[in-house]
Amino acid sequence: MSDTAHRPPLSQGVSQGAVRPARTLAEHLRTWSDERLSALLRARPDLTTPAPHDSSQVASRAGTRASVQRALDDLTTLELAVLDACVVLGHASREETVAAVHGDPVRVSAALDHLIDLALVWESPGGVRALSGVADLLRGDLASGVSGLRPVLPHALSRTEAVERVARLSAPARGLLEHVADSGGEATSGRARTPHRPEDATTPVEEVLAHGLLVPTQNGALHLPGQVGLALRGGHTTRLPVDDLPELAVTARDPALVDRVAAGAAFEAVRRLELLLDHWGQHPPTVLRSGGLAVRDLKAVVDELHVDAHQAALLLEAAVAADLLAEGHDADGVAAWLPTHAFDAWSESPPAERWTALVRGWFTTTRLPGLVGRKDASGKTRNALAPDASSQFAPEARDHALRQLAALPPGGALASGTGLPSLVERLRWLRPRRPVTRDEMVGWAVQEAAMLGLTGLDALASYAREVVAGDLDAAADQLAPLLPTPVAHLLVQADLTAVAPGPLAGDLARTLHLLADVESRGGATVYRFTTGSLRRALDAGWGAEEIHDFLASISRTPIPQPLTYLVDDVVRTFGSVRVGHAESFLRADDAQAITELLHHPKVAQLELRRIAPTVLVSSLPVDLLLPRLRELGTAPVVEAPDGTVHVARRHLLRTRTPRPTPVPAVARARDTARVSAVLAAVRAGDRAAASAPARPAVATTPITALAMLREAIESATTVVIGYVDNHGTTTDRVVDPRRLEGGQLTAYDHRTEGPKAFAVHRITSVTPAVGDQ
Amino acid sequence: MNDGPLIVQSDKTLLLEIDHERAQECRRAIAPFAELERSPEHVHTYRLTPLGLWNARAAGHDAEEVVNTLLTFSRYAVPHALLVDVAETMARYGRLRLDKHPTHGLVLSSTDRPVLEEVLRAKKIKPMLGERIDGPDGDSVVVHPSERGNLKQALLKLGWPAEDWAGYVDGEAHAIDLVEDGWELRDYQRDAADSFWHGGSGVVVLPCGAGKTIVGASAMAHAKATTLILVTNTVSARQWKDELLKRTTLTEDEIGEYSGAMKEVRPVTIATYQVLTLRRKGVYPHLDLLDARDWGLIVYDEVHLLPAPIFRMTANLQARRRIGLTATLVREDGREGDVFSLIGPKRYDAPWKDIEAQGWIAPADCVEVRVTLSDSERLTYAVAEPEEKYRLAACTPRKTDVVRRLVDQHAGQPTLVIGQYIDQLDELAETLDAPVIKGETPVKERQRLFDAFRSGELSLLVVSKVANFSIDLPSAEVAIQVSGSFGSRQEEAQRLGRLLRPKDEGKSAHFYTLVSRDTVDADFAANRQRFLAEQGYAYRIVDAQDL
Repeated sequence: MSDTAHRPPLSQGVSQGAVRPARTLAEHLRTWSDERLSALLRARPDLTTPAPHDSSQVASRAGTRASVQRALDDLTTLELAVLDACVVLGHASREETVAAVHGDPVRVSAALDHLIDLALVWESPGGVRALSGVADLLRGDLASGVSGLRPVLPHALSRTEAVERVARLSAPARGLLEHVADSGGEATSGRARTPHRPEDATTPVEEVLAHGLLVPTQNGALHLPGQVGLALRGGHTTRLPVDDLPELAVTARDPALVDRVAAGAAFEAVRRLELLLDHWGQHPPTVLRSGGLAVRDLKAVVDELHVDAHQAALLLEAAVAADLLAEGHDADGVAAWLPTHAFDAWSESPPAERWTALVRGWFTTTRLPGLVGRKDASGKTRNALAPDASSQFAPEARDHALRQLAALPPGGALASGTGLPSLVERLRWLRPRRPVTRDEMVGWAVQEAAMLGLTGLDALASYAREVVAGDLDAAADQLAPLLPTPVAHLLVQADLTAVAPGPLAGDLARTLHLLADVESRGGATVYRFTTGSLRRALDAGWGAEEIHDFLASISRTPIPQPLTYLVDDVVRTFGSVRVGHAESFLRADDAQAITELLHHPKVAQLELRRIAPTVLVSSLPVDLLLPRLRELGTAPVVEAPDGTVHVARRHLLRTRTPRPTPVPAVARARDTARVSAVLAAVRAGDRAAASAPARPAVATTPITALAMLREAIESATTVVIGYVDNHGTTTDRVVDPRRLEGGQLTAYDHRTEGPKAFAVHRITSVTPAVGDQ
Repeated sequence: MNDGPLIVQSDKTLLLEIDHERAQECRRAIAPFAELERSPEHVHTYRLTPLGLWNARAAGHDAEEVVNTLLTFSRYAVPHALLVDVAETMARYGRLRLDKHPTHGLVLSSTDRPVLEEVLRAKKIKPMLGERIDGPDGDSVVVHPSERGNLKQALLKLGWPAEDWAGYVDGEAHAIDLVEDGWELRDYQRDAADSFWHGGSGVVVLPCGAGKTIVGASAMAHAKATTLILVTNTVSARQWKDELLKRTTLTEDEIGEYSGAMKEVRPVTIATYQVLTLRRKGVYPHLDLLDARDWGLIVYDEVHLLPAPIFRMTANLQARRRIGLTATLVREDGREGDVFSLIGPKRYDAPWKDIEAQGWIAPADCVEVRVTLSDSERLTYAVAEPEEKYRLAACTPRKTDVVRRLVDQHAGQPTLVIGQYIDQLDELAETLDAPVIKGETPVKERQRLFDAFRSGELSLLVVSKVANFSIDLPSAEVAIQVSGSFGSRQEEAQRLGRLLRPKDEGKSAHFYTLVSRDTVDADFAANRQRFLAEQGYAYRIVDAQDL
């Protein structure tokens, strides 16, 4: 396992050789390089909205509960354990903190740097310390890196003393202490007295109390101070090492084979979706009132595509996410699932690009196709495309799962059976604070990746590595040669089938769908010509000659006689009618008369075209044509427009493309631009603050007041606040701010010598306490 | 990109481009596990079925081999789901096995407990089983010996085909040996008989004309026991008898015929399906034949035609060795599964190059002649009852005229005129001045006419459907079909396969089908055409006036 396998540093080398320790987080941030600060803003995007004015605002925002929670959720078990150690030690030197974590010091140190980069920990004069809000939010068990130890009490016994006293304990007393440490560090003494000398103790409880290893609190409970806990656990916050990245159970496969299998699935996914949406363009399924697709319609998809319900739902969700499918209205105005205009562009693009579009949709969608068909909490079956089957963690689960696969050497596959559990285990280590449904989501991610052709034989395909790396164009380029090359010919056989030995180029497939029925699909397509299929073509305006010519043009082999015969036979029994653009027609029983007319010197202006021995058409309307014909000396009569066959283009329905999805590259660029804008603003704000009158400044606006209070919390300094009491009089209070949330400041009030809550809106000013500077 | 000849479709069909340079190699590689479905001129279609895969398993191929073959020859990437499916399907075979237990007799055992539990819970299977015996090497359950066949059938339906290792009774010994004078057993025939013998029971698939009778004789020589041979009809029974006399040490006295005409039970008895399945007042009076002797071997000729009652009887014969002979495992009624579970898995399939060396697909010029009904006939046809329509269309007098023209065209060449309707045949015979063979023609007379035809004395013969099966008329060069039984593909195959055996000097045979245009006759013909083309016979359609 490599040290940084699971976490590249946010910014290269910037946290090494740290500058002079700062007194507050804001001050600390001010010393950071642009690069480092933008790395922070990128890693914690919530700090940038709305754009902060200066570093102190960044710092105060970084300490809010919501922001810390988000940042914690993205930490690994090791990082959480390091953070936990910071909280337990309170305010200790870097070396001490690193030593307290049970793990390889190099890795622990790297984790600590990362936490500093994330502004969850900062280097103050007395050493490293975690943001004050962190302690409350670090909840959980050992698996999520939380040791369960209470903070070190600064004024109680020293750590060396603690070690000595613990060593002197009898076995039962030590057992008792360990039990307390493992179950939250809090206990009650019951009726046990506290002997003055350990020798007087009669019970383990008394022994422990005598040594002063449990400290009584005001409400009568006993606390196990952090130093004792550390002593019990051999100087570490945890008994077990926390830097063991779980190994993946892996087998090796032939990378070329992996690519072929995956590309096969990729091609199938694209082909199936195209087939389905093509079909839905003509016969769209209705949208349920609750949103989503009816079970019956999903079943039809399953049957049509020869896939299971999960895969069908996956294709649909990916199509929605890729903007290929959306809610619209069918010809009757009923809400229906329709292909979008983007689908038309999509189906024209090369298969590899179609695939990347689909995969991008899958990567970003929060929907969970795996839930389709299951019962929800109220016992109702979940429908495909229904809005409720989603989780905001789904994209992350997919991204993480595939990143783990991408880290394997080419051809490295999850071992069958043990591979998936080991992947889940590793992701649990990497993101211990993610919800419990993750196991399933990871399983789905792996399954769906196989269905979409990102993986083959449970290993990531070479082109899919590019997808994971975010370079979709490169992925498309690598995938393209693996896909069947489009062909422009058919093998037509005497049993009235035609085989296209690959995907058909251009519009050929659509034309053939009209002329023949599809019998088998896959890399190749088998078409069968039947009386019915040929009639369909004739209905759509094809003539016998056209069909013969078309077949002859795309068949690589001579057309078998039976097919030629069949075409002619169908045409013979079909009242063949062709429709073209003509404003009027001329017909006569006498072909001679028609020929004569056609050769009349003045006939050019009539725009006549002969379509049969006895029929001419003209692009002039009847009312123009009629007088001119009369001028030419003929005696035409007007025929009523009866008995004509109406031929229309197939009615294809489309709906609006909902929104343009930003291409990743564009999104990245936008991201970078935003971060640098924020950065510029923060720097400008800092300069403004620096050139402002020197401190101690009195904060009189709510924003500066809050910022100062947060600073005070972080630096554990004393401030004087102007506070409006219940009688409306403003008093100055000297307080040590502890916590700021929910519109309340909790602080140690020097006047009452106890904690007190202040309503933030009543605080008129904040001034650093004199002597604290 | 791989440039293989094979395209694996997601619906489990395999398309083989036969003009590809590696097509032959590929064909040989996929033959053990894929069933050939269609073989038109450019692209042959094979299908992967559970039965085909299990047959491959029974023949000793494993899933990895199959997957590898597909990946090696496939032009495009093979759908992952299909590979998984192949592996899973093949893994199901042999999880359960039927064994002979030293103390408990016939037992069904498995090393895979969940599978055994699953089948034990199946409603259909429960009554066939006795008590449970769990041993150290796996779990077993006693099977009532009479249910051996039914159990295998039921297990196959559940998708857990059992391997039958319970062995066979030897039967009553009887000396039978091959007499190889002036001919010798071809390699593939020997292989076929050997692999059948080692497998115990099963089906040998050999193309028409590849000498299935000799494989049967060779199997008998292996068994050296009394043998019951089941054939499709009397004429075929005679041919078997002749062949056996010629190829083995058996004498006339040792071979009995059990048919409508004769009821002889001898050490080697040849019975027709028809007589066995004859039913009087709800009972099959001739079923006793199956127990008349202690048969050591049962030979089923033309397994793909085996009628349903015979399956039921076969279920009770699981302790006897069985060999099935056929040219195709595809059955019109879809009971391939019963063949697999009751007679046995495919034991041998001839490699294609041998088939071709045999000239299986003889050059045949198949022509469909479209006859236009006269206006009055069309009117009659239009108002006729639906069940009368085919007959009306098929028996139009216009065909008679066309037949005469065709016969004249091929004057001197041995010609058969085949039809369904006796009236029509009689009329034709009269017009053409040719003898007619129909159901009521005595067997002796039939034999005489066939012999005369074979020897060349007679060059024109009008026959009804009695000539469909198992009659060797290798000298026939022209066949004219005037009506058929509603477009049965099976019938078409037989007519073609039987009548158009490879000719000397590579002469091509002619096969004409007369069809009335724009009637149900033409619809049925479409079915037949498709079949012809799928079998690789080129055919064309001409109008009667263009002949």
